[in-house]
Amino acid sequence: MESFFFRYRNLIVLLVLLVAQILGLAMQVRRTGEGSNTYDPTDSKGVQLIRLWANAIVSPPERAVQNSKSGAGWIWQNYFDLRNVRQQNEDLRAQVDQLRLEQAEMLEDVRQGQRLQSLNKFEEKYLYKTLTAQVIGGSGSDLSRVFYLDKGKNEGIARDMAVITPEGIVGKVREVYPHSAQVLAINDQSSGAGVILEQTRVRGILRGNAEGQPAIVNILADSRIKPGEKVLTGGGDQIFPRGLPVGVVDRVEKDPDRDGFIQVVVNPAANLNGLDEVLVITDSEPRFNDKQLKDLAESESEKKEDAAALNEQKKASEILEEKLPGLTDPNAPKPAQDGASAANGAAPAAPPAPKLLAPQHPDRFTPGYVGSNADRTQSQAGDGANSAPRTAAPKPAQPGTQPTTKPGTTTKPAQRPTTAPVQQAPAQKTDRLEDTGSKPDAPKQPANPNPNQQPPQRKEQ
Amino acid sequence: MSVLTANSRRDLEIHRYPAPLYLLVPVAALVLQALLSRYLSRFPYFDIPLVITVYFALGRRSPIQGMFLGVFVGIFEDALTHHAIGINGIAKTVAGFLAASMGVRIDVQNVFIRVLLNFALTLLCSAIYLGIYRGLLGIELDWSWFTLLFQALGNSVIALILFPLLDRFQVRD
Repeated sequence: MESFFFRYRNLIVLLVLLVAQILGLAMQVRRTGEGSNTYDPTDSKGVQLIRLWANAIVSPPERAVQNSKSGAGWIWQNYFDLRNVRQQNEDLRAQVDQLRLEQAEMLEDVRQGQRLQSLNKFEEKYLYKTLTAQVIGGSGSDLSRVFYLDKGKNEGIARDMAVITPEGIVGKVREVYPHSAQVLAINDQSSGAGVILEQTRVRGILRGNAEGQPAIVNILADSRIKPGEKVLTGGGDQIFPRGLPVGVVDRVEKDPDRDGFIQVVVNPAANLNGLDEVLVITDSEPRFNDKQLKDLAESESEKKEDAAALNEQKKASEILEEKLPGLTDPNAPKPAQDGASAANGAAPAAPPAPKLLAPQHPDRFTPGYVGSNADRTQSQAGDGANSAPRTAAPKPAQPGTQPTTKPGTTTKPAQRPTTAPVQQAPAQKTDRLEDTGSKPDAPKQPANPNPNQQPPQRKEQ
Repeated sequence: MSVLTANSRRDLEIHRYPAPLYLLVPVAALVLQALLSRYLSRFPYFDIPLVITVYFALGRRSPIQGMFLGVFVGIFEDALTHHAIGINGIAKTVAGFLAASMGVRIDVQNVFIRVLLNFALTLLCSAIYLGIYRGLLGIELDWSWFTLLFQALGNSVIALILFPLLDRFQVRD
């Protein structure tokens, strides 16, 4: 037995190691509702510990390289140090090289300063609170497009925070360590961001493809989607704020697995392959600067003033409505009586005629005017025999008699007393005057405004 | 290609290195991989930890040492990704075992064999990755044959440069 284990120890160790790792993998897999196995992205404590150790080993050298401002140059330079090349730097050529290196470093510093300056400007203007962080390393695998930031939990970074640049979105924080954080880029195959096409308003989910390009997947074929259209964040994933630039449509491809579906390959706005500094959105609550706050306060006060003015107008109109007379007549019968008459089957009563005020200076055109004594005497002397005795009491209008109203008057003929027997005009003249509706030579007899009231009797009769 | 018996090669050409080198070189390879992948993200056609695993497995000619180095390096790599721990570990365990097993039988100083071995083991590791992703984890992972091919070529080129460099650290009796 001992010789068996000794003879096959290599294979046994291989099997033990493989089985142990497969068991470890199995512990990280969960069963889905559909009955299939899938990787559970939520790390257990043991796995988190392994990741923490790995990060603790890798992060310091990465940070050191990053702090030297020229990672590859630093390694190169130190390699020559190890090979005692620094002693050769005493000659002029080495000094020139050194100066060139310094110049390159300075140039890199200037570029970094410009980048940081633009980042700070963007950060100041940006609505949400952000934190600037430097990219210090990657995963080392093209199947896992994650990278590490030099800031972590102690600096205020938490999981699922959005990572952006002024150009566009980059990814989201996947794991947080005390002084570093792991970011899952949007071009990873397991990433997912809700996006919307700017013009066609087609919504979809963005994830990376095999070539490391972000693509919008699982959308129905739409001929309107053309290369060059802008892609923005949709805001539905609760990670990226709405409206951030994602990129532009690079090309539209048919989904090889599903008929009728397409995938829209997006050219990312942010340079995902050359990230140096990024912004982490640490607070999704909008923040405003002093000017914006002032504008907001002004807007609020104007809004209140407008509302108050509107309220005042409403009150004034209500007061006016109460004070102004209504269209209802105070002399009109009460609604109850109207109701009673209606109930009796009688026709509804006609609206009462307006009362005419008594004229202050009545003349012969005034309705109901009977004339003064002087006028009557002068008239009798003038007319003599041809004047017929005037009727004292106006008779009711007879059919065929001419109205004695002045042209334009609106008195009712039935209510107007006439003197037809006395002042009958020639037929032709009457015909002519019918057009005007008046008789110029006939004395005007005003219509009695009140038909029930008898006009006063003349004293001569 | 010269093929020798296992015992003669094991006795004659087991490479020995300073003890810290067994730890420093793999860690440096992991850090370098993480760093370079950032600067050369457009050309992710290299896997330095795998090259280091193959180198030590070939040099030591001990499958057990090769496997344990593969486990360490692989799990470390997995820990830096957001994927499950053990995917790279399994792949590099197999790679370490096979490299050490072949190192007993073939002349590992031959440049052509080194290149060929790295090329083949890189493709094998990629196949194991995909198999684990799809078979064990149930993750639909797309891949590009060109990427896998270029990665195998890249590892071969790195091995050509790195192997002679590491040979200088050998402890000779």
